[in-house]
This record gives sequence, C-alpha cells and structure tokens, in this order.
Amino acid sequence: MTDAILQIENLTKQYPGFLLDHISFSIPKGSIMGLIGENGAGKSTTIKAALGLIKKEDGRATFWGQELSLNKNLKEDIGIVFDGINFYETLTPAKVGSISKAAYKQWNSRLYLDYLQRFQLPSDKEIKDFSKGMKTKLCIAAALSHDPKLLILDEATSGLDPVIRDDILDVFLEFVQDENHSILMSSHISSDLEKIADYITFIHQGKVLFCKPKDELRYRYGIIRCKTDVFHTIDPSEILAFRKDDYQWNVLIADKEKARRNYKNAVIDDASIDDILLLYVKGEQQK
Amino acid sequence: MKSLVLKDLYNIIHNSRSMLFILLFFAVVFLPSSGIQGYIYTCAILCSMMIVTTFSFDERSNWSPYALSMPVSRNDLVAGKYIVLFLFSAAGVLSGLIFGTVGSFIHKSAGVVPETLSEMPLSMAALTALAFSTVFGSISIPLTLKFGAEKGRILIFASFFIPVAVCYIAYRLLSALGIAITEPFLAVLLYGSPAIAFIWNYFMFKISCSIFSKKEF
Repeated sequence: MTDAILQIENLTKQYPGFLLDHISFSIPKGSIMGLIGENGAGKSTTIKAALGLIKKEDGRATFWGQELSLNKNLKEDIGIVFDGINFYETLTPAKVGSISKAAYKQWNSRLYLDYLQRFQLPSDKEIKDFSKGMKTKLCIAAALSHDPKLLILDEATSGLDPVIRDDILDVFLEFVQDENHSILMSSHISSDLEKIADYITFIHQGKVLFCKPKDELRYRYGIIRCKTDVFHTIDPSEILAFRKDDYQWNVLIADKEKARRNYKNAVIDDASIDDILLLYVKGEQQK
Repeated sequence: MKSLVLKDLYNIIHNSRSMLFILLFFAVVFLPSSGIQGYIYTCAILCSMMIVTTFSFDERSNWSPYALSMPVSRNDLVAGKYIVLFLFSAAGVLSGLIFGTVGSFIHKSAGVVPETLSEMPLSMAALTALAFSTVFGSISIPLTLKFGAEKGRILIFASFFIPVAVCYIAYRLLSALGIAITEPFLAVLLYGSPAIAFIWNYFMFKISCSIFSKKEF
C-alpha cells in the first residue's frame, strides 16, 4: 500500500503464554482499517506496541514514515480512543477541554464545543454521572478536536447500544471524507467494521491471518454448506477453513463464484465477517 | 506538561475541602504547642502527601496510556508529578503561614500563648518547610511508580523513614569521626536545605524517569 499513514512491520511482543508474532499491515490515506479478532487475539497489544505503550521485541511502527519515539510532535496528528474513559470521574467535559487544550497546539475549542453540542454532552456535568455511551462520545469529541489525521480506536464501540454505535460510526465516516484522514479501528463487533471499514486485518492467536480489502471479503469470499460426500470432492487448495456442524460441513472459500460453478450440488452463501471470523477461530484451517 | 499539571490540580480540587478541614483542625490542636514554624512544617508535609492521591486517581482512570498518546514524553509525565509536588508543598506552606498567623493571633487573643520553638524567621521556616516536604514527597513518587498507588500509600511511610534514617546515619558517622554537631553547623544545614532539596529532587526525578521508562501499559 502506498501513501501509508501508519506502517506496521513485523511487530513482535512476547508475554508468558502469548506471542504477538511479526504483525505487519499498513493504513493508506483516506481509509478505515478494521482490526478484528477474538478477545485476546492481540489487537490491543498491536495498538499498544505501535504507540510505544509496551516494549516490542522486534519490528517497528512508523507514522508518516517516522517512529513516535523519535518525534513526539507526531502525536499532534493522532487521536486515540480507548475502551473506557481515561479522565477521572470528577472532571467535567469543560475541564477535559481545558486539559486537552493545554496538551495540543492544534486544539480547536470551537470544534470541541460543537462536538459536545452535537453529542448532547453537558459541559459542566461530572463524568461520573455520564452513561457509557456519553463517556465514549466525550472521548471521541476530545480525540477529534485537535484536528488529527489518524484516529486510533481500541474497542471504542464495545458495550454500546446499536443506536449510539450508529451515531458514532457516522462521525467516523465523516472524518474520513477528508482524504488525508485515516482510522485504525480495533473491534470484535464485526458489524461495525462491515459497515465502515475499507480494509480488514484479521488477527488470530497473535498472528495476522489476512489483511484484505473489505469488498474482497464481502464479494468474493463464500461459505460452501454441504454434506460429507460433497465436502470430500472440494479441492483442498480452495479451502481456507472448515467446520463440521451436526448436519453439514461449512467450508470457507476465497472465490464463491468459482465454487458455484464447480460445486452445483452445494449451497454457497455469502460470507459475513462474523462467519469468516468464526470459521477461522472455531474451525480447522487447511494445512 | 501544562496539561498534566492542570489535570492533577483539577482532580485534587475535590479533596481540597477535607484537606482544609484537617489543616484547620491541626491549627486548633497543635498550634499552641508547636508554634507557627512547626505548624508550617506540618501543613507542608501533609499537602505534599497528596501527590500519592494523584497517582491513585491516575490508576483508577487508566490515565497514563492516554497521557502518553498526547504530545508528551514519559519524562514529561514524571516531571509533571514533581511540579505538582512542588505546588502542593507550596500550597501547604502558604496555608501554614496564613492559618498559623491567624491562629496564633486568635490563640493570643484567647490568652493562649503559642510556643516559639525556634528563633527562625517565618520566611526561613517557610523555605525550609518547602524543602523538607518536597524531599519527603519526592521519595514517594518513584515508590508509587514502581509499586502502584495502593502499595504507595503504605510505602509513603518509607518516604519519611528514608530521609530520617539517612540523617541519623549521617549523624552517627559524624559522631564516630569526632565531628560535633554544633548549633552553627545545624543552622548551616537548615539554611542549606533548599539547595540540598533541589539536588535530592533531581536525583529522585532521574530514578523516577528510569522506573517509568520501563513501565508497560
């Protein structure tokens, strides 16, 4: 990918019982990269390693071609939203604004107030009285009000109801209307990524299983649902993952049109990101 | 850096009422026996202890990883804590001066004459109190960074024990070498305490930076 805002190369981190194993992907300008995987797959570890919050054993993460540790001013152009609010609960949105204003040269107070108004957040109410959705919206308002070019969201929409998630996803889509803006969004809610992501990076047990354009997954990937006799006729080189249910085999393949031509006796469905994730995680992968 | 200090000040404002109450209580109970100078020391040390509370707030809100995503370095984060410690100690000294002076006046009006423990002028008492309180507080910062705020609260006693132990060992060493601790020598130590505190704080800052640089979130 050219014009990468964030380039992650061979990022490796070892914990007892877990290895983040040479993670590589990049985010082009003007796009949304969805980082998906089951809980504990390594999504947050990848983000933390990229941001320098944990020490990596190997690899590097460059933002606009530079490492964060070598140029802290790069952080002016990065907005972060973690899962949960990072301000103490007795603070108010007004005070969060003052703190952020003191931190960022590019802070735009007018824009921040506009976001507070848009998200219906009272500026003088203590955070402890906010719902989870309101807290997330406050974090997003703070992250967007210093005019970042890259927004990093680590499970930011987890635990929110569909209405609030939808509101927030609209804000993200607006953000990437500017072709210099990009988003890295880690989530295990695949429907959110299905709605807004341009690329999907799937991390499983600390490894990148694939990094592909979402449309390729949506329009080309499919699931063959068939009986055992048909399953044994499928070319093993076409099988990405498979799983046997009580009555049928579910086989993930990368070219559903080809499969429809070749296996006329099988039902071939479109594969959602959830289906792909489930088959990779719970099924078996072709060796 | 300013944002880090501002955050701690905003957070601690909620504790300021209870701290104010404690300082007033101490003014009523201890001012007659310890004098204004002693009271200033008490206020400064009590306020410097609030630095551990700011770590507790940070831990509860998972502040550090967020702060490090802002345009600040790990060393900035540590430096911010030392600035906040200085501000807390200064606020303690100022409170001690104000409440102490007013309290003494009230006590005198009521016929209770406060003790004057030393001939030290109030300005010098304020300066040395600032020095002592930052020395005590500065030890709690690396301890809290290393062991966390909860354990830090317990280890805060170590913050006070360590300087006392260092002074005691120094006293024993000097005695063993036959150097007498005379009043003029003590005065030099006392008046030199701001410079000693500055060097001590710098040393603690370096240790804190080293601890924090290894921390993972």
